[in-house]
Amino acid sequence: MNKILPLIILCILFLRIESYAQSRVITGVVTNAQDNSPLPGVNIFIKGTSTGTITDFEGRYSLGVPADATSLVFSYIGFISQEIAIQGKSVIDVSLAEDAKQLDELVVTGYTMQNKRDILGSITSVKPDELRQMPIVGFDQALQGQASGVMVTQSSGEPGGGIMVRIRGNSSISSSNRPLFIVDGIPVRDGGLTGRSFGGQQDNAIASLNPNDIESIEILKDASAKAMFGSRAANGVVLITTKRGKAGERTRFEVDVQRGLSDPTGRVDLLNAAELLELQRESLINAGQDPNLAGIPGVTDAVDTDWINAVTRRALYEQYQLSASGGSDKTRFYLSGSFRDEEGVIVNNSFTRMTGAANIDHNANKRLNFGLNISAGRTLNRRVKGDNFLDGVYSGALRSLPYYAPYDENGNFYVPGNPGYAEFPNFNPLAQAILPRFDTYATKLLGGFNARYEIMPNLSLSTRFSLDYTSTIEDQFEPSGTAIGGFLPSIGGRGYGVYSTGESSQFLNTTTLIYNKTIGEKHALDGLLGTEILERVSRSSFVSGQFFPSDDFTYITSAGLVNDGSSFLIESGLISFFGQLNYKYQDRYLVTLNARYDGSSRFGEDRKFGFFPSASVGWRLSEEQFLQNFEKIDDLKLRMSYGITGNERIGDFQFLGTWAASNAYNGVPAISPATLANPLLQWEQTTEFNIGADISLYSGRVQINADYYYNTTNDLLLSEILPLTTGFGSVLGNLGEVTNQGAELTINSINFNGPLRWSTQFNISRNQNIVRKLATDEPQFAGYNTFTNSTHIIKPGYPLGTYWGLVFLGVDPGTGNAIYKDVNNDGELTAEDGTVIGNAQPDFFGGLTNTWSYKGFELSLFLQFSYGNEMINFAKTSMVNSGQDIENNQTREALLRWRNPGDITSVPRYEFENTFNNRFSSRFVEDASYLRIKNLSLAYNVPSKWVEKYRLEGVRLFVSGTNLWTLTNYSGADPEVNSLDGSTVSQGLDFYTLPQVRTLMAGINLRF
Amino acid sequence: MTFNNTYHHIKDNGHQKTAYSGIFRFIKKSYLLWILLCLMPLGACQDLLSPQPVDRISDDLVIKDASSARVALTSVYRSFVALTTPKIVAGDLMADNLIHNGTFIQYLEISNKDLSASNASAEALWSVVYQVAYRANFVLEWLDRIEITQNQFDEISAVARFLRGYAYFVGVTTYGGIPIVTSTEISVNRNISRATAAEVYDFVEQDYLYALDKVPVQTFNSGDVSNGAVKAALARFYLYREDWQRADQYASEVISGIGSRQYQLESNFNNVLRDFSSESILEVIYTANDNPGTSTNFGLNNLLEGRREIIPSPDAIQALQESGGSRINMISFNSALARGNDNGWTVTRYGPFDNVTIFRLPEMYLIRAEARARRGIISGPNSAASDLNVIRERAGLAAINLASQLQALQAIENERRMEFCFEGHRWYDLKRTGRAGAVMGVYSRNWSSTDELWPIPLREIQNNPGLRNSQNPGY
Repeated sequence: MNKILPLIILCILFLRIESYAQSRVITGVVTNAQDNSPLPGVNIFIKGTSTGTITDFEGRYSLGVPADATSLVFSYIGFISQEIAIQGKSVIDVSLAEDAKQLDELVVTGYTMQNKRDILGSITSVKPDELRQMPIVGFDQALQGQASGVMVTQSSGEPGGGIMVRIRGNSSISSSNRPLFIVDGIPVRDGGLTGRSFGGQQDNAIASLNPNDIESIEILKDASAKAMFGSRAANGVVLITTKRGKAGERTRFEVDVQRGLSDPTGRVDLLNAAELLELQRESLINAGQDPNLAGIPGVTDAVDTDWINAVTRRALYEQYQLSASGGSDKTRFYLSGSFRDEEGVIVNNSFTRMTGAANIDHNANKRLNFGLNISAGRTLNRRVKGDNFLDGVYSGALRSLPYYAPYDENGNFYVPGNPGYAEFPNFNPLAQAILPRFDTYATKLLGGFNARYEIMPNLSLSTRFSLDYTSTIEDQFEPSGTAIGGFLPSIGGRGYGVYSTGESSQFLNTTTLIYNKTIGEKHALDGLLGTEILERVSRSSFVSGQFFPSDDFTYITSAGLVNDGSSFLIESGLISFFGQLNYKYQDRYLVTLNARYDGSSRFGEDRKFGFFPSASVGWRLSEEQFLQNFEKIDDLKLRMSYGITGNERIGDFQFLGTWAASNAYNGVPAISPATLANPLLQWEQTTEFNIGADISLYSGRVQINADYYYNTTNDLLLSEILPLTTGFGSVLGNLGEVTNQGAELTINSINFNGPLRWSTQFNISRNQNIVRKLATDEPQFAGYNTFTNSTHIIKPGYPLGTYWGLVFLGVDPGTGNAIYKDVNNDGELTAEDGTVIGNAQPDFFGGLTNTWSYKGFELSLFLQFSYGNEMINFAKTSMVNSGQDIENNQTREALLRWRNPGDITSVPRYEFENTFNNRFSSRFVEDASYLRIKNLSLAYNVPSKWVEKYRLEGVRLFVSGTNLWTLTNYSGADPEVNSLDGSTVSQGLDFYTLPQVRTLMAGINLRF
Repeated sequence: MTFNNTYHHIKDNGHQKTAYSGIFRFIKKSYLLWILLCLMPLGACQDLLSPQPVDRISDDLVIKDASSARVALTSVYRSFVALTTPKIVAGDLMADNLIHNGTFIQYLEISNKDLSASNASAEALWSVVYQVAYRANFVLEWLDRIEITQNQFDEISAVARFLRGYAYFVGVTTYGGIPIVTSTEISVNRNISRATAAEVYDFVEQDYLYALDKVPVQTFNSGDVSNGAVKAALARFYLYREDWQRADQYASEVISGIGSRQYQLESNFNNVLRDFSSESILEVIYTANDNPGTSTNFGLNNLLEGRREIIPSPDAIQALQESGGSRINMISFNSALARGNDNGWTVTRYGPFDNVTIFRLPEMYLIRAEARARRGIISGPNSAASDLNVIRERAGLAAINLASQLQALQAIENERRMEFCFEGHRWYDLKRTGRAGAVMGVYSRNWSSTDELWPIPLREIQNNPGLRNSQNPGY
C-alpha cells in the first residue's frame, strides 16, 4: 500500500475529476504483449472525455464510467494505443504491443532536443540497453558495430585499454581524430591517461565513466548536425545522455550482477625447444659457423617452457550495479553505484572501477527548473608492459626462447645476474609481469549544474556550469629482478621507481536562448543563440628514482638517487558564439541553418577566431500528394547538408617559435631551440557535403537510413619535413588535404511482431580515405623503421595507414633466398625499391544484430565485420626472421622454410645474421578481413507472476559470450589489434599485441 | 528639523520609487538586451585566449645580454654532447673495433658495412652537425644585436665558432663535402647544396683560427673549450690535411704547454677512464640525464653496457689482448653472455655518467709522431719513435725501435687503434691514411671503397632540393 499511495496522490493531482454521473466501475490489468509483464503507469481514459486513470504498479486499474461511455483508450509511451469497446463489460484486460514507429522520439541534437522525424542532419542513435549483456567497459566500446559510419576498434585485449573511434574516417593526419564526446552537455576528456609508454598500448580516460548510467547515445556525423560544435566538430560528435528520473514514477530499484571468464581469442603457435635449437643450428651452419662454438647445443637439458602459457591465465570478470530512480512532479532523481573488477588474461593485469552517479532535476515553479548531475569514478589499472617493449610481458613471452625457464629449481624467479637468466634482449617475461608495480589510479569527476527559465511560453533561457575533472596517479616500481630495475645500470640499477601525477580540469559555461514559434498553420520556426566559455587547465608532475637499498623499499623516498623530476602547467581556452535556426513549411519543406564562431588559444596570433557555418534542407516526400497512395510508406524524407567544421586539437602553443630548457652543461643551465614559429597556424578545416534519406515503412516496422558524404579536410596541420640542414626536423603548418567519401546504410526491421518477435539491425559503411596533398610532393614516413625507411607512408593519392616496403615475389627454389621486385628497374635491390604494399583501411565494415524473443526468452546474435583491410604482422619480422638473429623464438611457419635446392616454399632460407631474406616486404602484410560473433546472448525474463510475491517487478537472467568466433585469413592471433594504439598514420600494426579476449558470462538483473 | 527630515524622507522615498520604476520599466522593456548581455562572455576573453607557456620562451627573448648569451651558448654544447655517440659508432663500429649484438638494424647495417641511406645513426650524426651549426649561428647573429663588451663578445663567439668548426670537421670526415650553413635563415638552409670537401675544411680552419686566441687559456675544467682544445683540434685538423709541419707545431704547443694549460700524462691508464684526468684536453660532460634509456640513438653506456647493442669485435679483443697492454681494461668478459654471435665481451670504458673524451694528450704525441714519421724523423730524440714510446710505456708495453717510415707508420696506426679504441677514431684514421681498403677489405667481406663515406641521409636527399642527385656513391 505504501507504494501505491503516492500513485494515488498523483492520480488525484493529475486528473481533473469531472462531475459525470458515474454509473459503474470497470477494472482490469494492462500487460506488455511481449512478455506479459504488467505495465504500470498506462493512461486509460474514456473516449471523447478527459476522464481517466492510470494503472498501478501491478498494471491494475479501476475506473468509474458513465452509462453513455462507449469505449476506453489505453495509451502508453512506446506502445501502440488501443481502443476497446466497453460493450457492457466490467473487466477489461488489455495487452499492449510495443510501437515500432517511435517517430515522435525526441533526440538530443547538441544544445536542444529535436523531433527525430524533423532532423536534417545525419544522426545515429544507439541505445546502450541493447548492449547490457556485453562486458563493455566504456561507452566508446558500446558503439562498435552499432552505428553506420562509426568504426570502433579495440586496440588489444588489455582491460581498460585504448579504443579507437573514427566517425567517417580519419580527417586529420597529425592532430587527433577522436570525436568530441559530450556527456550531459559536458565535453569529456578522452584518450590515454598515463604519461609513460607501455610499449604501444594506452589506457582510456573514458573507461572511468560507467556506461550503464547511459540512457542514449547520439552520434552526429554531418555538418548539419555538427557545425554547432564548430572548431571541435570535424571528427564527429558523440552525445551521451545519462539516465534521469521520471516525473510521477514511484521509486524503483535495479540490481545488476554480471560475472564471467575470459581467455585470449587466439594464440600464436611457437616452436618448442627442440625445434628451435634445430632451426638455430641450421641457420648458424648456413652462415658458415659452428653451432657448438656459438653456444647452441644439439640437445638440451629438457627445459621447454611454453612462455605464453606461463604469462596468461583464465581471467575473472565481475560487475555489480545498484540504481534507484523516481520522482514527483517537482523533483526527479536517478542514483547509481557500481563496482567492476576485470582481470586481464595476462597475469597481474587488471582493471577495477567504482562509480557513483546522481542526477537531480527540480521544477521550482512553472517557469524555472534546474538540475544537477554528478558522476564520479575511481579506477585502478594494474598495467603490464607489452608490444614494442623488449621487457614486455606478452611480447616477451612470444619472443622468449623456450630453452630458458622462468623459475630456478627452488622456485625463485631467474633475475638479472642469475646464470639461467636469458639476458638482453630477452628477459624473464613472467618476472616482468609479476615483479613490477605499474598502478594507475584515475579519479574522474563530472559535474554540471543547469538551470532553465521560461521567459515567455516560447522563449527560454538555459545556462549550464560544468566541470570535467580527472586526476591520474601513476605509482610504479621495477625491482632489481626486472630488466629496467636490475639489468640496465644506466636507468635502474637496483630498482627504478616512477611516481607521476596529472590533473586536468575543464570548466565550461554554456548559455543558450531558445525560441520557437508556429505562425499560422504552415510555418514552424525555432531557433537558438548561445555562448560558451571553456577553460582547460592541466597540471602534472613526476619524479623518478634509482639505486634502492633493496627490493623491500619501493617508493622513491628510499631511492639512493632521485634522478629526474618535473612539474608542469598548461592552459588553454575557447570562447564561442553559436546559433541555429530551424524552419519548417507545412511539415514538408525543412531548412536548418547553423553557425559557430570560435576563438581558441591554440590558434596563431593572427588566426584567433574561426567561423563554422552549415546549412541543410529537407523535403518530406511522404507529405506530397503523389505519395499519398503509397500506404506502406509512413515517412520518407530526403535531406542534404553542406557546411564547414574544424579541428582545434592541434596542441598548445604550436604557433610560437620557442626555446625550451634542456639539460644543463657543465653547471650552466641551458635552453635549446624547441619549435619554429608560425603565427598563421590555425584549425584544420573540413568542408562537408552530405545527402541522405530517412524512410519508414510498414507502420514503422522497417526503417532505413542511407547517406552519402564527401568531406574535404584542408589546412591540415602537418609537420612539414625540413631538411636537417636547417637545424630542425620540421615546422608546423596548415598544409595538407585529405578527403573522406563514403556511403552508409542502416536498416532496422521488425520481421515478426507477434508472440515471436524477430528484429534485425543492420548497418554497413564504406569510407574511402585519400590523402590529397602534403607539405611537399615528397611522401612522409611513419611506423617502425625498415629497410625501405618505414612500415607506413603518407603519400598523396593513397589513404592514411598505407604500408610501404619491398614486394616479395617468393623464394628462389635454387638458393632459398627471398626474391624481391626491382621496382625501379635499376638492376639493384636498394631502399629505392620500396613501394605501396597494402593499407589498413577496410573496404567496408559494419554490424548485424538479430534478436528473437518469445515468451520472455530473448536470443541475440551480434555479428561484426570488416572487409578489405590489411594488417602488418610485424612480429613476424622477428618470429619468422630467416635467421637474422637467434634471440627470438619462431612461429611454426618457420618449419616451412627452404632447406634444400628445389624446395618450393614461401619461407626463405634461414641464415644467421642474414638480413636480406628478412627485409620488410609484402611477405609481412596480410589480409585482416574478419567476421566475428561479437556477442551471442540468451536472456530470460522471469514471468512476473513468479516474482511478484517476492515484491519484485522483474527478474532477468542471461548468459552471454563475447568474441566467440572469428572468421579470418589473418595468421596472427587476432585481426582486431593495433600495436600503436591511437595512431592515425601507423594503423594496422600487429607487433606482439595481446589479442582480444573471449568472455563467457552470466548475469542477473532485478527490478523492484 | 523633524519636518524637514520627514519631508526629505518622503521626497527621497518618492525619488527612489521613481528611479526604481524606471529601472523596472527599462528591464521590462529591454529584457532582450539583458539577455544578450548575459550571453556575452565578458572580460575573460583576452586572458583565456592568450595563456603563456610555462616551459618555453619565444626566439626574440632568448639572448638579451651576456648572461643569457652564455645560457644560449650552452645549447651549442648540448648538441656537441649529442655528437659523441654517433661519432663513436662511426669511428669504431664502422671499422673493425665493434660488432653488432642487439636488435637495432641501424647498428647491424653498420656492423655489416651494409648501410642504407636511411640508416638512423647516419641521420643522427648529420642532424647533430647541423644542430650545432644552427645554434652557433643563432648565438653569433644575436651577439651582433645586443649590448656586450668586446671581451665577452670575443669569448662567446669564439666558443660558438670552435664548436661549429668541430661539428663540420666531423661532418666532412664522415660524409665528404657537405652543405655549409652560415646563418639561421630557414629558407636558405632548406635548399642548400653540398660544398666540396676542401671548402668545408677551409671553413673549419677559419673557425678554429678565429677561436684560437679568443678562448680562455684556463677554463673551470676540461668540459669547456680552452685554447689547448683549439690547438689540439688544429693539430688533428692539419694531420688530416697532411700538413705535417703545422700538425707537429700545434701538437708540440699542447704537449709543452706553451701559451696554454700544461697537461700531464696519467701514469696509470685506468685513470684515463676517469672524468677530468690530468691529460684531458676537452671532454664532453655526461650526467645521469644524458644517458637516456629509450631512444634509437642510445647513450654510450646503454649502447655498450646496458643493452650491449654493440660489443667488441673478436679482432679488437685479440689486438687488445696481444698489444694493448693496460688498455685491455677497457673491456671485460662474462662467459654467461657468450652465445651465438655474442662473444661475451663488453666495452666497460663508459660508465653510466662517464664523460666522453674528445681530445687528450696522448693524441698529441701520436699526431706528432705521425707528422715526424712522414717527414722522415723516425728514430732518436724528438722523433716518431720517442713520441710513440711515451704512449707505449704508459700502457705498460716495451719501447720499440723504428727502422723505416713504413714500419713507423704501421706502428703508429696500431698504437692509435689501441690507445683510442672505442673513442671514435679508427674508421677515420684508416680512411685518411688510405689504409681502409687494405685493412677493412680483409676484415669484412662486404667492404667496398664506397664505405669510406656514410650516406647523406635519405630524408635530406628527399627534402632538400639542393641535395638531389648528390648522394655519395654506393647508396
